[in-house]
Amino acid sequence: MPQFGFSISKPRAINLDTNDQVPAERLLQEVPELKTCIACGGCTATCTAGNLTDFNFRKMHTLVRRGEYREVYEQMDKCMLCGKCRLVCPRGINTRAVVIKIKRVLGDY
Amino acid sequence: MAYYDSFVIPFLAGTVFMFAVIAWKWCRWIWLLPSEDKRAISKGVFTSATPKAVWEVISESLLHRKIFRVNPLLGYMHMSLAFGWFLLIVVGWIEAAVELGAGTPLHAHVFFRYFDPGAHAGGNPFATVMDLLLLMVLSGVVLAWFKRVRSRAMGMKRTTRHVLVDRVALTALWFVFPLRLAAESFMAAIKHNGGFLTGGLGDLIAAHMDPAVIAGVNSVLWWLYSFALGTFFVAMPFSRYMHIFTEIPLIFLRRYKVRSGDHTKSFDNFQIQACSRCGICIDPCQLQRDLGIGDVQSVYFLRDRRYGRLSDKVLDNCLMCGRCEVKCPVGIELNTLRSNSRQERVDSPALTRYDYLKGTDRSSGSGRVGYFAGCMTLLTPVTLRSMERIFAAAGEDVWWADRDGASCCGRPLKLSGEVNAARRIMEYNKEQFAAHGISTLVTSCPICLKVFREDYALEGIEVLHHTEYILRLLEQGRIALNAGDTVYTYHDPCELGRGSGIYDEPRQILGMAGKLVEPEHSRSDAMCCGSSLANTVIDDGQQLRIGAAMTTELERTGAGCIVTACPLCKKAIVRNATLPVADISQIVAERLQVSGT
Amino acid sequence: MDKRVVIIGGGVAGMQAALALKERGAEPVILEKEERLGGKLRDWHRLFPTFTPAAEVLEPLREGIARAGIEVRTGAEVECLSEGGAVLRGGECIEGGATVICSGFDVFDARIKEEYGYGIYDNVFTTVDVERMFNEGRVATAQGGVPQRIAFLHCVGSRDEKVGAHHCSKVCCITGVKQAIEMKEMFPSAEIYNFYMDIRMFGPGYEELYRRAQLEYNINFVRGRISEASQTIDGRVQIKAEDTLVGRPLKMTVDMLVLIVGMKGGSRNVAFAGSGGLTVADNGFMQPQDSFLGNVSSGRKGIFYAGTVTAPKNIGESLNEGVAVAARVASYLGL
Repeated sequence: MPQFGFSISKPRAINLDTNDQVPAERLLQEVPELKTCIACGGCTATCTAGNLTDFNFRKMHTLVRRGEYREVYEQMDKCMLCGKCRLVCPRGINTRAVVIKIKRVLGDY
Repeated sequence: MAYYDSFVIPFLAGTVFMFAVIAWKWCRWIWLLPSEDKRAISKGVFTSATPKAVWEVISESLLHRKIFRVNPLLGYMHMSLAFGWFLLIVVGWIEAAVELGAGTPLHAHVFFRYFDPGAHAGGNPFATVMDLLLLMVLSGVVLAWFKRVRSRAMGMKRTTRHVLVDRVALTALWFVFPLRLAAESFMAAIKHNGGFLTGGLGDLIAAHMDPAVIAGVNSVLWWLYSFALGTFFVAMPFSRYMHIFTEIPLIFLRRYKVRSGDHTKSFDNFQIQACSRCGICIDPCQLQRDLGIGDVQSVYFLRDRRYGRLSDKVLDNCLMCGRCEVKCPVGIELNTLRSNSRQERVDSPALTRYDYLKGTDRSSGSGRVGYFAGCMTLLTPVTLRSMERIFAAAGEDVWWADRDGASCCGRPLKLSGEVNAARRIMEYNKEQFAAHGISTLVTSCPICLKVFREDYALEGIEVLHHTEYILRLLEQGRIALNAGDTVYTYHDPCELGRGSGIYDEPRQILGMAGKLVEPEHSRSDAMCCGSSLANTVIDDGQQLRIGAAMTTELERTGAGCIVTACPLCKKAIVRNATLPVADISQIVAERLQVSGT
Repeated sequence: MDKRVVIIGGGVAGMQAALALKERGAEPVILEKEERLGGKLRDWHRLFPTFTPAAEVLEPLREGIARAGIEVRTGAEVECLSEGGAVLRGGECIEGGATVICSGFDVFDARIKEEYGYGIYDNVFTTVDVERMFNEGRVATAQGGVPQRIAFLHCVGSRDEKVGAHHCSKVCCITGVKQAIEMKEMFPSAEIYNFYMDIRMFGPGYEELYRRAQLEYNINFVRGRISEASQTIDGRVQIKAEDTLVGRPLKMTVDMLVLIVGMKGGSRNVAFAGSGGLTVADNGFMQPQDSFLGNVSSGRKGIFYAGTVTAPKNIGESLNEGVAVAARVASYLGL
């Protein structure tokens, strides 16, 4: 859903002083190679769901790694786990595990 | 009370306890079966399924014929224990009935030598038979000990690591027969009622020991023997030995066409507890063979699920390649059970989750034949182009479902356990197929193929993998190939071969195009490429190692070209191969005869 | 001691090493598998960042070799190393007091990245193809047309776990910028897009060239890796990427897609290592003794390296290593 400008109460900046990094650290512990992401966007370019919706896998896992979790779970729900992203990822990241782990981590967040 | 001695108490108590627990379990499981399964049972009971089940019980539960096929020595071990013990009980019961008359109490025939009323003039033929049977069982016990020490000689590189209750039961079981031998031999020393084995040993004992000592040892041994039996029976329903009896109702239910499904149900218990933890599933597992991961195999999955301590690590770490399933001597539906365990854990999709699919249609073209490339095939454009050329050569009008990207088939989601969510994707795709009026659906992806066939229930639409479709075109003479002298080797994709039973079609096609050589493991024994979507645990390096091992085998065939029929397998092989790698459609497209007409 | 030095490979590093060794009194012999000296540079048109014609580097080297009367064996493919030299295909042994391996690199085979369609679609090219076209003096689409839209994709075969390449090939970024400018000069009305992940401008004048590409040549730099390509009915190439700076998928149709292919370790490296007791590094290139004082030594007596056999390098660096290795070999031979 597009975000319109009237949600002025939300601060724009990612606040790394206050963001809770615990779920992010748990994710990186389980899929450590996610740290090697060079943000090439190959996953998002090839994404079956991303070509039909505004779902952006690269952005979502980057947000999680910054301790920003709002709406990530709902976005991840669009993923069909088809695995194309894993096949194109030049860093060999187990992207399907990233999706599943993010949902598990955020499911009980 | 006739034929009673207090040493029989441990045995009697154990027996009563065991049968009570087993009866409780079975009744409960059957009671909890969904009504369609109950209907299937009542429909099947009075058909030929019942005698067939009886025969299967004899050949598998008693004779263990399938294990003989894995390794004759291993088969003999299982057979001597199961069938030998069974005969000991039957013959023992007959002997007791003959000697003691009708209405013999249970313990009297189990401990017959103890209660044996007297010496037999001219020897007891039963004693000889019973000694032979005891020898057979004892040989099985010796082999079981030997297997613990040197499993390789029994055709198994690795054996199962057992839980405590299994070890208690196992220890008791190992003691039962040697104790029986000792007790009967001492008894024979007193009563001279043994056969060639117990009688012979009895004579030896009588010749060298004081009668008072013999009498003392004798009564202790019968106590120990009864206690070992009792211990085994108490532990049995909670240990792997539950399989001894559970395999029987499983065989019957299976003959009545009861199966496990997408969702867990009480029938699963019959399958889970019919697992003897023989560990035959460990060696075929490539996670074990190539990665040294040794705690996730089906035997451990079933064990952990049975004891309610299944972890994500064990559950998710499986390629679901099916190599273990084809080897399982009990025929347990290992993949189905694993997927429904995954389903149990995570499946409460937001109902609107895939609503975005509604109203999207990226398809193009029109025709009675629909072509669904599959997500992965979009990353192997040679396959797409080859199919395009084949369709053109055959003069086929084609509806291209997903050439410009479309929905996933739903199987990856299902494999990760999200069955209900996957269903929503499937419904959307079904609507698409129906809306475009196709009568044949061709796919290049074995993963899609399997789900289209098994879950879509596409009425009036025949689902074909492109290997099947191409072969049909060739047989109908709609296309023809220029045969060459290239030597091909073919890799069976898991989902196409073991998953869908398609082994011959690709081989027939390659036979028309050139020569075919088989790798060491092929057809139902073929290796997995490691890229399976069913596994969400192993990392890229681990996938690569599995792929490398399997590619090495393909290259060792001496072929000039490696052929497969799955985009994922192709990608995995290309990463490791030095030889050219092709999808079968590419071979066909390159060798198409251009007709003059 | 034997003054003969066996030089495996007659590219820029091998030629430079031979010249410098000859000056120091050694008797080098160059073993070149092709029919002419020059190595990969023979197929190159102009060099970054100055657009110097490749011939301006090659010709003086070739002339120097001829003038100095250095022994050159062309068509001599080395199978493996021998004690004190090399074994040619056919079994002939060429031996001397020292061996310098200047066998260079292999160009990544872009067909392995099937999703980009090289060898499948008509209008997908590599940087090597583009140099060849520049040399032939005719750049056109497969249909013979003038390209109006050209996309370059960086890092093909580099930094890609899926093709077993963790390393950065170093010179591709600047090659992509150079070729983009050359294309723009040739087709001033064409739109040119470079798809990149990181732009690594490590050499003198490189960053300045990148800046000129943006400012003077209007080359568009899009931060994102193309995930796949397909061919349109009219034979053009449709590409998909994410514009990662915007965070949205991007689709476009181009007349030419140029894959900027990386460098990989030479295919003979494993044979060299096996026969000479040398080490192949994880990245497939030969492992020098160390990265500093021993960067042209192999760690084995009498075996030395120069040029891209040990890592991706540009022409200038390879030439310098030719001189450096000569100094090391001379002192080894006591010249």
